[in-house]
Amino acid sequence: MNILFFGSLLLYFIAMALQFATVAFKKEKLGKAAWFVFLTAFAAHTVYIIVRGIVARRLPLSNQFEFATAFAWGVALMLLILRTRMKAEWLSVIAMPMTFFLLSFAALQPREITDLMPALRSGWFGFHIGSAVISYSAFVVAGCIGLRYILLARKGREEDSFKLKQMDWLSYRLVALGVLMLTVTILTGAIWAEQAWSAFWTWDPKEVWALITWIIYVVYLHLRLRSKKQGLSMAWYVMIAVPVVLFTFAGVNTLMSGMHSYA
Amino acid sequence: MKKLFRFFRSMRFGIILLCLIAVFSIVGTAIPQGREIAWYAQTYRGAHGTILRLGLNDVFGSWYFQLLLILLCLNLTLCSLLRIRAVSAAKAGEREALLRMPQSFRLDNAQRTAVRDNLRAMHCREETDGEHPVFRKNGFGRYGSFLTHLSILLTLIFGAMALYLPKTVDRSCLPGEAVLMEDGTEIAVERFRIENDEGRLDFTSELTVRLPDGRESGLREIKVNHPLSFGPWKVYQQTYGTAGSVTVQNLETKLEDTFTLTDLVFLSSDGVNGLWYEAVYPDLIRDPSGNVTLITNTSGSYPNPVYQVQTASDGVYTPILAFPGEELQVGNLKFRFEKPVEYPGLRIKYTPGFVNALLCASFLLMTAGFAVTFFCQPVLVRLDPDGCAVGGPKPEGMRIRIQEWAEENKEKETKA
Repeated sequence: MNILFFGSLLLYFIAMALQFATVAFKKEKLGKAAWFVFLTAFAAHTVYIIVRGIVARRLPLSNQFEFATAFAWGVALMLLILRTRMKAEWLSVIAMPMTFFLLSFAALQPREITDLMPALRSGWFGFHIGSAVISYSAFVVAGCIGLRYILLARKGREEDSFKLKQMDWLSYRLVALGVLMLTVTILTGAIWAEQAWSAFWTWDPKEVWALITWIIYVVYLHLRLRSKKQGLSMAWYVMIAVPVVLFTFAGVNTLMSGMHSYA
Repeated sequence: MKKLFRFFRSMRFGIILLCLIAVFSIVGTAIPQGREIAWYAQTYRGAHGTILRLGLNDVFGSWYFQLLLILLCLNLTLCSLLRIRAVSAAKAGEREALLRMPQSFRLDNAQRTAVRDNLRAMHCREETDGEHPVFRKNGFGRYGSFLTHLSILLTLIFGAMALYLPKTVDRSCLPGEAVLMEDGTEIAVERFRIENDEGRLDFTSELTVRLPDGRESGLREIKVNHPLSFGPWKVYQQTYGTAGSVTVQNLETKLEDTFTLTDLVFLSSDGVNGLWYEAVYPDLIRDPSGNVTLITNTSGSYPNPVYQVQTASDGVYTPILAFPGEELQVGNLKFRFEKPVEYPGLRIKYTPGFVNALLCASFLLMTAGFAVTFFCQPVLVRLDPDGCAVGGPKPEGMRIRIQEWAEENKEKETKA
């Protein structure tokens, strides 16, 4: 099973390197090769997650390693969807390194399969953590689009204006998806907490940081929808918000103790 | 006054409140909450006075945090009321506004056909108004934002009720015993186990709840994540403990009794000679030189329980480690160490059931509200012979899509 994991990590690295080379040397063939390697890595990654789930006889989402692996998979899946359905080739150069970075973080965590602790044996487990994976992935990919937007906008070319508009719109749609899924995460978590700990909300650091992340993106949506703020300022916003997502995912568990400390 | 009211209902005020809530929440996680005052004095030397004065040791229970939440409720109420009014007003004149609207794009014949086909593929309703076909879809999407704001308001209100109305107590209860609540409700624990037959951790209590009016739940099983709800009571499997069990026999009278022990206790018939029970430990480690280290904690059942006791005989105290099955005689008393007894720590909550139901309903409404707001956005397009106009409350997405369709068509034609 480790071969699949490290194989996909290596392939993501190669895909990323090829993608950088594509940008540097402007060779279309290199880009195609990068995409092929990326697809192979994604397939290996998917098989690894499925096999791990079968071996563990549960959803492989119960600890930092499994969540990070799923998180990286979520980012890769979104890149795959956006490239195939919306022709967002321009996203690869930022989303591929992000996938590699997240999976590298997973590689640094303990990988052994452990029995699911009683507190996690609940029907809400899949909904709560699965929605968090989708939400965090959407926010991170939105951040990647934000970065790409900033890089493209700096060139100041007139012919890029529609592309920039598309990027801005796509980033907004991803934030909207992320907010919806984070809402599901928080609400299912609250219902689960009531069943496990007797209270819907306990101001546990993980809960609070999920709320902070939610607020940050809800403010983004308000600024965009009501104040009609678009373009560069919003691209900076989604990009700067990514560290908050990463802190909620990894920082809280590392630096703060609470009821989610096992995650 | 009008200005103040306008500010209270404004989005700017809502954003300021959300930002303040986020900032105080960060402070609330950066500074550990609800510790002893001495702890703050020791950890934050010099700054602890400020922390305590500003209530930063209990941010989420402080008056200013509560005030922020109340103001957010006020903002949401005004916002929701105004929004529903504005949405209804806009809906009434939407079609006329679309017909008057200047074209958003110029389209050639092929592009127009492509846009029309795509709109049909999206299952938009097609209405013909003279020579201008109008495509519309997701009319209810305009209410998404109202639903979302209303549901957040309801969540805050019902959440506060769910937080403050229930009364919660934690009780340990040995198997075979019962906990009596203030109103006369009895919660009797029949059995408890830490591990299941496969040896997996599986904290399970079997218990019965008897209400003062005589109604009885019957023997029911509770586990972590699976509480028992009966009447207004909810019983949770919260923690667990392991108690020592010692059978004492009076050798003169031949009388015998078994005691379940959780605290330091002296077992004696004359108050002088007997056994001091101190604790029972999960296991011990013996090094090659014979020194013993007691294991103080374990996550499951005790694998090799060890009793730490002292015998008291005519003023002489002798510390002893004993194992289940062993016997000890002090004076006229014989002590037999039994297998330790595992017992549950229960959390018992008195809660009006309707609060949870209302809160869960507001959760559902919120999820639906977000889904409708972002993924059922209204579509309103007028297709002219040489272009199109995009109307509705959120036209941006549709404009981009139409532009994409037109570009695609252009690319196809260029290739052809």
